[in-house]
Amino acid sequence: MRYLNAIGFLVFALLLVAVPLQAANEYELRLFMLFLIYGLIAAGLNVLVGLSGLVSLGQAGFFALGSYTAAILATRLHFDIVACCISAAIVCSLFGALLAYPSVRVRGVYLAVVTIAFGIIVENVAIEWQSLTGGTTGLTSIPRPNLFGIKLSGFAFYGVLAGVLFFAVLLIHHLRYSRYGRAMLAVAQSETAARALGINPTAVRTLSFVVASVTAGIAGALYAFLNSYISPDIFTFSDSVRFLLMVILGGAGSTFGGIIGAYILTYLPEYLQQFQVWQRFAYGALLLLVMFVMPLGIVGTLRVLLDRLRPPDPAPAASEGVPAEKSLHHEARELPAELVATNLTVRFGGLTALSKVSLRVKGGEIHALIGPNGAGKSTFVNTVSGFYQPNEGRFELDGIELTARRSYDVARLGLARTFQNTELFGDMSVLDNVMVGYHQRLRYGLAGALLRTRRMRHGERECRAAAIGLLDFVGLLPQANETARHLPFGLQRRLEIARALATKPRLLLLDEPAAGLTTQEIDDLEAMIRRIASLGISVLLIEHHVDLIMALADTVTVLDYGQVIASDTPATVQNDPRVIEAYFGTSLSHALPEEVRA
Amino acid sequence: MTTTIQYMLSGLAIGGIYALVALGFHIMWSAAKAVNFAHGDTLMLGAVVAVIGVDQGVPLPLACLLGIAAGGIFGILLERFAVRPFVGAATSVGWMLTTLAVGVMTEALATLQFGGFSRPLPSPGVTGAVHILGAGVYPQELFIPVFAVVVVVGLKLLQRHTLVGRAMQAVAHNKQAAALMGINVNRITALSFGLASLFGAAAGILVAPVIQVSASMGAILGLKGFAVAIIGGITSAPGVVIAGFAFGVMEKFVEGYVSTAAREIVGFSVMVLVLLAFPQGLFGKREVLKV
Repeated sequence: MRYLNAIGFLVFALLLVAVPLQAANEYELRLFMLFLIYGLIAAGLNVLVGLSGLVSLGQAGFFALGSYTAAILATRLHFDIVACCISAAIVCSLFGALLAYPSVRVRGVYLAVVTIAFGIIVENVAIEWQSLTGGTTGLTSIPRPNLFGIKLSGFAFYGVLAGVLFFAVLLIHHLRYSRYGRAMLAVAQSETAARALGINPTAVRTLSFVVASVTAGIAGALYAFLNSYISPDIFTFSDSVRFLLMVILGGAGSTFGGIIGAYILTYLPEYLQQFQVWQRFAYGALLLLVMFVMPLGIVGTLRVLLDRLRPPDPAPAASEGVPAEKSLHHEARELPAELVATNLTVRFGGLTALSKVSLRVKGGEIHALIGPNGAGKSTFVNTVSGFYQPNEGRFELDGIELTARRSYDVARLGLARTFQNTELFGDMSVLDNVMVGYHQRLRYGLAGALLRTRRMRHGERECRAAAIGLLDFVGLLPQANETARHLPFGLQRRLEIARALATKPRLLLLDEPAAGLTTQEIDDLEAMIRRIASLGISVLLIEHHVDLIMALADTVTVLDYGQVIASDTPATVQNDPRVIEAYFGTSLSHALPEEVRA
Repeated sequence: MTTTIQYMLSGLAIGGIYALVALGFHIMWSAAKAVNFAHGDTLMLGAVVAVIGVDQGVPLPLACLLGIAAGGIFGILLERFAVRPFVGAATSVGWMLTTLAVGVMTEALATLQFGGFSRPLPSPGVTGAVHILGAGVYPQELFIPVFAVVVVVGLKLLQRHTLVGRAMQAVAHNKQAAALMGINVNRITALSFGLASLFGAAAGILVAPVIQVSASMGAILGLKGFAVAIIGGITSAPGVVIAGFAFGVMEKFVEGYVSTAAREIVGFSVMVLVLLAFPQGLFGKREVLKV
């Protein structure tokens, strides 16, 4: 797949060089330059739509914001084109962050609504603030673009535009194949799982929105110079819809999808000019058509067809990986982690799911938490992993207070978990799923990701090697390149364990890992948990499967009705009369089937 | 004093429209965890059908009923063909874009029909103004907030006392459990979208005599309705209605004392600020992340 992308960039570069040489007249060149500007908007918006799974209907607003910023700075302060673009980028990134942060915390839909509103506000401000923006007449006579004081000729300006687009697409491509791109895809597919791996969904979504707003802002700045005239009616809601359509039509999530969509939608109106009244209807119809007939867009559909023709990529060899024993090795002075929960109480409305639960997972042990359905086991797991906030009580990992920390913070401190109902990143490959788990251990920053620095490439190599080692550890290496949701259920469970291990946890919470597995698979699981514990990782195992618990656990804690009724060695607990009562019921009041009480 | 009363009354009128639209978003969101992005166009459709009906010589009350019915059918069809195929996907991109596309197409068609002009819808409610403490308003404007309150109370009664209403609440709470109890979740969802669209179309017809009917009237009203739903808390029916009234009144004051442009700026800024301070809206319930 890598060489395909390289060919793509080569063809793209050749096209950018060839077209101006071929252009018959200035109008043709101008139209092509307009396409380059739209391409820039689409490429950025693709990060938001294709990777983060969010929609912006206000890109025209950012386009306008960038345009006005550049036009005002160029006219009044005689900024050159670079300074204008940078200023537009800064202004747009600030507004982008301001809009995205509150919206994406709650629901994806909210962002769409907030962005529509933003577009309207920008339009209104542009009309109203006459002294600055020229009101409805707009800003005329924007000076010809100059670079460090040197006026740019038509071709030189074209060169700037083509260069900006080429490098923007390249940088975005780098971002896509970095820890940030993986995190965006992961958050879009399962926010819960992403949190459990230490990823802050709000930050990741805000980042993707800022990328989209910055590119739209720079595009706006370039547009101001291209047109040398801007007014509020150039930036309407219709344009926002058109930018979105470019991404969807071309192929959301693919490197060149937005560019191809932008090309089609720049040139299509030229051919359809006589149908002008139908133009908006056509945009709607096209959007609907693409959503139903070709939801992956042009590039995505081509890729699926191509994948069918080619043999699948061979699975990586075990020798490419770093063995799990090595990648998960903790320093000798680091003792295995100890989890101490004290008097945890969790209430849901009137229901007390956990009542003063105290539990201690000693460093390096396998601790089993059992109890009838509805006893509060899952609530306990969700509380100590930071998904629910306890009403009372506290818990800590090796003396580090975890109470009131967010789930992704808890994960970063060394507590990893799996889920009762598997939460995989379904559309990502098995290998990528594990690499997302490695997210927090990669140390390179945003600049490193965009520029693919040596440090970044080194980190990525390490991440990949560790992930391969972990897949080998759980026996999933042959399936490394498969799409996660195509895996059979038993293997999905193993993938979740590998992914949790990739965070290099010191304590692993397994939430009913044996549920739905065959006897053979449970035997394999038993061996795997033993090996995990032997790596110095403490394990808290929530399970119903008694044989598994008796074989594995050092300590067993029994919950019933949200209270701890026993905590001891498996043999002792097995004979505890209260435990027997909880499970089978001896007194009349408890002689109800388990399901009814749950 | 007179100005204050004037702003209050006309604010409550437009606020009642926002409340009705927002209530529609609340109903749709509760049923499907999805909304119809063409809801503003439902409102426009109701008004446009009523105007066309009157043009064709249909008596006004019948034309209004036709408009409301058209809105309801539009909503049910949208749910079936644009929303349902995409609900349950990991992201909300699918149904957002399909309903948006239908909205864009509907508005384009209405523009072709109306030629971009505004048309009045006659109503006995706007023939003469009444004066309250010196402030002049149309009876129509007084009727809108009353209607909005009646609708939300009616909705609550429906949810409390009828089987369908309880089924709606069950679906909102947990689709799977509702399905296991023998509730036809698809039918309840379709019904919810239909109900929401009836309210939307009714809002369009109620507001039409006051602001005139045009192909583009739905976009901004729909958007503000959603803004109100965000502010009030999309999970709370009374919450969105209260927020609707407050938003309408606030708009009139800003418009009166500053400018029309400031009205939009302040309105949407309030939405962003509320979202920042109260992510679930002022009256919304926090949704616990199910793990």
